[in-house]
Amino acid sequence: MTAVSSGKLLGEPVDRIDGHLKVTGGAPYPSDFSYPDMAHAALVQSTVAAGTIRSLDTAGALVAPGVLTVITHENAPALAEGPMTNIGPSPRFPLADNRILHHGQHVAVVVAETPEQARDAARLVRVEYDEAAPVLGVGNPDAPVLTDPYGMESSRGDVEAALAASDVQYDETFHMAPETNNPLGLFATVARWEDGRVTVHDSSQWPAMARQSIATVFGLPESAVRVLVPYLGGGFGAGLRTWPHAILAVLAARMLERPVKLVLTRPQMFTSVGHRPESVQRLRIGATTDGRLLAVDHEATATRGAEEMNIEPITMGTPDAYAWPSAATHDRLAALNIPNPGAMRAPGHAEGGFALESALDEISYRIGMDPLELRLRNHAEVHPSTGLPWSSNALRDCYRVGAERFGWSARPAEPRSLRDGAWLVGQGMAGVTFSRWAAVCRAQVSVGRDGAALVRCAGTDIGTGTYTITAQLAAELLGLDVEQVRVELGDSDLPLAPQSGGSGLALALSGAVEDAARNLLRAFLDTVRDDDSSPLRGRSLDEVAVTGGRIHLANDPSAGEDYAAILDRHGLRELVADGEKDPSPPEGLSMAPAGAFAAQFAEVRVHEELGIVRVSRLASAVDAGRVLNEKTARSQVIGAMVLGIGMALLEETSFDAGGRIANATLGDYLIPAHADVPDLDVAFVGGPDAFNAVGVKGLGEVGVVGVPAAIANAVHHATGRRIRSLPITLDKLL
Amino acid sequence: MSALTYVRPDGVDEAIALVSADAGAAFLAGGTTQLDLLLKDGVIENSTLVDIGRLPLTGTSLLDGAVLRIGALTTMADLAEDPVVRERLPFVREALLAGASIQLRNMATIGGNLLQRTRCRYFRDRTVAACNKRRPGTGCAAVIGPARMHAILGADQNCIALHASDLCVPLVALDAEVRVQGPGGERTVPLTDFYVLPGRSPDVEHVLGHGEMITHVDVPLPPATSRSRYLKVRDRASYEFALASAAAALVVEDGTIAEARLALGGVGTVPWRAGEAEEMLRGVPATTAMFRAAARAALRDPYTLPGTAFKVELAQRTLVRVLEDLAEAAS
Repeated sequence: MTAVSSGKLLGEPVDRIDGHLKVTGGAPYPSDFSYPDMAHAALVQSTVAAGTIRSLDTAGALVAPGVLTVITHENAPALAEGPMTNIGPSPRFPLADNRILHHGQHVAVVVAETPEQARDAARLVRVEYDEAAPVLGVGNPDAPVLTDPYGMESSRGDVEAALAASDVQYDETFHMAPETNNPLGLFATVARWEDGRVTVHDSSQWPAMARQSIATVFGLPESAVRVLVPYLGGGFGAGLRTWPHAILAVLAARMLERPVKLVLTRPQMFTSVGHRPESVQRLRIGATTDGRLLAVDHEATATRGAEEMNIEPITMGTPDAYAWPSAATHDRLAALNIPNPGAMRAPGHAEGGFALESALDEISYRIGMDPLELRLRNHAEVHPSTGLPWSSNALRDCYRVGAERFGWSARPAEPRSLRDGAWLVGQGMAGVTFSRWAAVCRAQVSVGRDGAALVRCAGTDIGTGTYTITAQLAAELLGLDVEQVRVELGDSDLPLAPQSGGSGLALALSGAVEDAARNLLRAFLDTVRDDDSSPLRGRSLDEVAVTGGRIHLANDPSAGEDYAAILDRHGLRELVADGEKDPSPPEGLSMAPAGAFAAQFAEVRVHEELGIVRVSRLASAVDAGRVLNEKTARSQVIGAMVLGIGMALLEETSFDAGGRIANATLGDYLIPAHADVPDLDVAFVGGPDAFNAVGVKGLGEVGVVGVPAAIANAVHHATGRRIRSLPITLDKLL
Repeated sequence: MSALTYVRPDGVDEAIALVSADAGAAFLAGGTTQLDLLLKDGVIENSTLVDIGRLPLTGTSLLDGAVLRIGALTTMADLAEDPVVRERLPFVREALLAGASIQLRNMATIGGNLLQRTRCRYFRDRTVAACNKRRPGTGCAAVIGPARMHAILGADQNCIALHASDLCVPLVALDAEVRVQGPGGERTVPLTDFYVLPGRSPDVEHVLGHGEMITHVDVPLPPATSRSRYLKVRDRASYEFALASAAAALVVEDGTIAEARLALGGVGTVPWRAGEAEEMLRGVPATTAMFRAAARAALRDPYTLPGTAFKVELAQRTLVRVLEDLAEAAS
């Protein structure tokens, strides 16, 4: 059959196939779904961060116009615990008892005929608390701390001895403020029960997990739960759990025996769907004066909610980022009275990358070496932990191409050496080695008598372009035009898929689609195996190719026929095939499966008197393996770069002394505005990966990781000031 | 939810009569303040909204060639394009264009801008118990909060809520006057007297009585030889309130300052006229040393917290930067 690499469709900057629907309002997001007789829910949240509910008075709410019920810990039925997932246990159910573990914990849900009635009545619920002193702040000595909470600590070589023997002994501490994902689409759940089965429209990046969670919690077989999320208004990791508000909406619908819709408010988005945790990192590095990195010791502490779990693998990328002979990592997780954090784009990597790439910049100045040269000298030619060759690694090309496009070679090394009037100008860079992650995925592909194909998979398109790349890939594999491929996603009844997260869906899904397409072609050949009127009679898969909607002999394109002719002649409406790919590396694999790599370059302007920082240029060169669609891939990377600007300069979720988030609106929590974003330069380098399906490496997150350090390094180059605490607000530079 | 009556009268007298007759009524102008606080945050309660959007209070006129009269319902976007504002009041234009977003400036009115409520998240979150502005006598939660976007001048432990208007900063510097109409007739209030320092009653923010509305703002034009500038400093490049801002209009003759008008934003519980600094600059050479001394005077006796302490230095530097720019342009 057609080799994937020979096609013309893959990689083309095809417009999003769902673009027209989206811009014309035709794409239904979870909050767009409505049913006749649907009721509306509004949350009541705790106004203290720790303690117990002393009394809860719902009388005023219950008599308010339109109110149907108020659900609290006093009348909520006992529910089973949610399942363990591949990113940790399910969130704690907040109405299990009267305990308060964080400010903003849901304490009641009011259900009424209209959203306005529900919201109004929610303000009438009177809650009194016996308040306890909350435990807040990542360094709080009262916080219970887990050691090696993810089981991911690693060690090779004698790190302490190597550090002690090093000419250059680097030892610094970094702090990063908590951040909040803030997808534009407010998270919503619409639940409808019918005959013991429930259909749930939920803002999820992972329909299969949502189905499993709801089934487990409500004691149902998974077949009795259907989760639909064909479109999602952004996630950035917030949709990787089935959050308590979703469980409450499903519960309310069951209790009322009516469909229920619950849409979070923007302030509730800050307390209900996770955030990037606050973190502190200590990084010790030993180096020689000629720029050889000998050892690294990376310790990181992140926060979690009390009685909750979150995986924030900050140190994970460090051992394999450079060719250091000795490396050790230490992970800590401090439990606080805060809403549980969750994944936020490049969880762990983004924090670790900031510390690591800032540290390399500092070391380059201590030994008087160009920061890029220091990275080249310590480039990991093979995978450092295993000594195996990488399945692909174009990081050197990232450095080279990025530096050329940015004009790095013209940069004077001395800090404060560039100036434009009152503005100090600085340039900095960072490298990125991103981890590979993928899980088992299934897909179904069919072709009907119109010669068009349908691809079906439970995975979601969270705005990244999954619909489009899936159509391109299927078109390529079946010899069709993109317009001849329809794609159905975001439905848990469809073939199982992992989350749209961890930069893993494109990799997993492309493997499944490739397998399904191959099986489908095999099914067509099986159909004509004994068909005297078919030029493909008795042929096997490796003897044929597909082009122009036809299967034909690879060595004689004139000998073949189209899909419709085969189906017609055999009285078939369609042929359907399933595909599955387990992308896990097998035992004894002779290469190390690689994730994406990148080099990122920033230029900033810092107002010498006023401390204002503006990013004037930002460039990324990315090795993401095979790029399936140059346009959506670029959009992924520039979106990630904007997130990196926010992380570096603006974003901070401010907890006050009472554990309340003091800036839980988009007016107060600053994300980059257009004026903060310069022209963003993105170049893709490298080629198909040797191990991953279709040669793909995920690129959903890599574009964030180096940006904060590149900007902080540029601020240092501009001002001579090293800022190890994000965000770099102007007061830090006064 | 509570029933809300909405009316949209055509005349000023009718609008005033509607609000005056109903203790639960409020005027609705551009909408940002009133609708956010009422519907989204639930921190104010009105039973009637009197939409004044149709009243004939838009546009500008020039009185005796010396005073620009601005209708209270003129939008920020329109005022920024006004030819007199462009030519004679460049720092008013700069302040307008530095405020809000394009979408908001197309809707927001000048009267509404003057009467915008503070963005203090302790005031705007009804679940916070301590807020003297919302519930007098309950204390101030913001003073133990992150308090980055809060005031350091005219502030004390009872209230640090910031008056966030950009436009008001040059307007107080210019001695603008507010024309007010109410059930008792018309009156004129200097903008510097229009706002009330929080003191012991942070809930009282201005001198308007119930049923009184701003109909016009009169802005005396500075001398033709005056140069002016508004500089707004913030972390985000656009669509953020000022951490500090400065408005200055200078008349410099032969290197000597003949007249100075100065005001600060982002630091005061009210738009902050820097009167003492103006006095210090009048008649002295336009030098950086003088500017710095004046800036120190302008920031005298601040009430700072860990989160706002940086604003003392930032506001001084902002004012000095504006003055130096103006002096440079004059030389």
